[in-house]
Amino acid sequence: MKIARNLSKADKKMLRSVFWRSWTLNASRTGATQYHALGFIYTLLPVINRYYKTPKDQSAAIVRHTTWFNATMHINNFIVGLVAAMEHQNSEDPNFDPNSITAVKASLMGPISGIGDPFFWGILRVIAAGIGISLASTGSVMGAILFLLLYNVPAFLVHYYALYTGYAIGASFIKRLYQSGGIKILTKVASLLGLLMMGSMTASTVKFKTILQVSVNGSKEVMKIQSYLDQLFIGLVPITITLLAFWLLRKKVNVNIIMFGIMILGIVLGLCGVC
Amino acid sequence: MFMQALMAGLSVFICFAGNYLTGQSMLERPLVVGLVTGLLMGDLKTGILMGAALEAVFMGNINIGGVISAEPVTATTLATTFAIISHVDQKAAINLAIPIGMLAAFVVMFLKNVFMNFFAPILDRVAAKNGQKQIVLLHYGTWIFYYVIIASISFLGVLLGSKPVEELVNNIPQNVMNGLSAAGGLLPAVGFAMLMKMLWDNKLAVFYLLGFILTAYLKLPAVAVAAIGLVICVVTAQRDLELMNLPQTTATNKRKLTKQEEEEDFFS
Repeated sequence: MKIARNLSKADKKMLRSVFWRSWTLNASRTGATQYHALGFIYTLLPVINRYYKTPKDQSAAIVRHTTWFNATMHINNFIVGLVAAMEHQNSEDPNFDPNSITAVKASLMGPISGIGDPFFWGILRVIAAGIGISLASTGSVMGAILFLLLYNVPAFLVHYYALYTGYAIGASFIKRLYQSGGIKILTKVASLLGLLMMGSMTASTVKFKTILQVSVNGSKEVMKIQSYLDQLFIGLVPITITLLAFWLLRKKVNVNIIMFGIMILGIVLGLCGVC
Repeated sequence: MFMQALMAGLSVFICFAGNYLTGQSMLERPLVVGLVTGLLMGDLKTGILMGAALEAVFMGNINIGGVISAEPVTATTLATTFAIISHVDQKAAINLAIPIGMLAAFVVMFLKNVFMNFFAPILDRVAAKNGQKQIVLLHYGTWIFYYVIIASISFLGVLLGSKPVEELVNNIPQNVMNGLSAAGGLLPAVGFAMLMKMLWDNKLAVFYLLGFILTAYLKLPAVAVAAIGLVICVVTAQRDLELMNLPQTTATNKRKLTKQEEEEDFFS
């Protein structure tokens, strides 16, 4: 609670609203190209409405957050808090580069999930379930209840502190950075880190595997096309598709056309027995 | 049968939709789903025991990297319901849960990655118009819509009975599943392409390739890639700061240090 003490009354009110909204961050579904963007916008609405006064600025901020967002629940609130502080700065300073917000968001998603997934899904859930199963297999109602409590009490604390820490760090850090004039460098290194993480996430999230194989006369072994593709370059198809989508976006091709194109491509490849 | 089918659907909705409304509070785990289903069906004890057994089965079952694994909510609800109302033996019900879970996972994957994409253009449109009321509506609307569809699988499953469900599970053409799974695997590419468009700088583009190689070839986890990225960022920032401070000769060293520290405590 120490972090919350330094905040003004209006700050507290805003963050409280953000806090309750953030529980539903992963609730809505608008497909694989946005993931939890809609939940992120919904969570951030109190921030956007407080700092931006004209509808034009508000919609600019909303559009900025329609991009892909996915990070482990609870600890993702750190990003929410940080983004809230950056939106604040952006609303006050006309020289602020809004792209740095996207860059910071994009570069933090991967590492935040890298810490959060094993902690919540690997450690906390497994410990809680182990205790829950042993109680429930005797037929006790307490099994499920204890399981929920053991998981959610630590989760609640992380959820709370992640948001306030993110906001406090963001606010003080960005202010200092502004006074020293290093914001240009921040935007550059955040974009660098963001692109690096995009590359990493393309490799880990975009999936393609062909089951095509060719049998050769005189040889008993069948040749798997996928292993040839991998020899050429691991993840050749995912990176090609991603860069193609990127190139088409830059050519101002509508994103929905690209999306349906890829969808049809995948289905056709499957029906033809390619993958 | 109709009431029981309705209860099964309700159980899925409470657990699955409730789970995401409460910050993934683990309501979707078999331990809780078994309890809720048992409660709604009027046989609490069987529900709890099925939940405990299935929790152990699905413990290691989390969706990692686009691979379809079983979906525990529908699986637990249907297995528990069949154990209670059709008096299917508990062991047999557990065995039935796994193929049902896989079928449900497939439906969930199709909905999440392919079908729900239809809502993406709507979000883009209302975002551009600052339609905040529509955003709230869309947020909760897609939530209800999505989970009602998933809940209706269990509703239909109970209505049809355990035999036809078993047959259906075993008779889906493999290439249809493969095609949808391939589409689902490739679709995140568009999301990343959109983010890249915002971050892109021709001078920095090479780092995208570096990130890809570190993960695809060296199989480094995201935290390690980010740590390497941090090192590159600090080096780059130091060099840029030196360039920026070149005109000022004195006192630069001191200021350089503090800025460097700021970079570090921001990313650490």
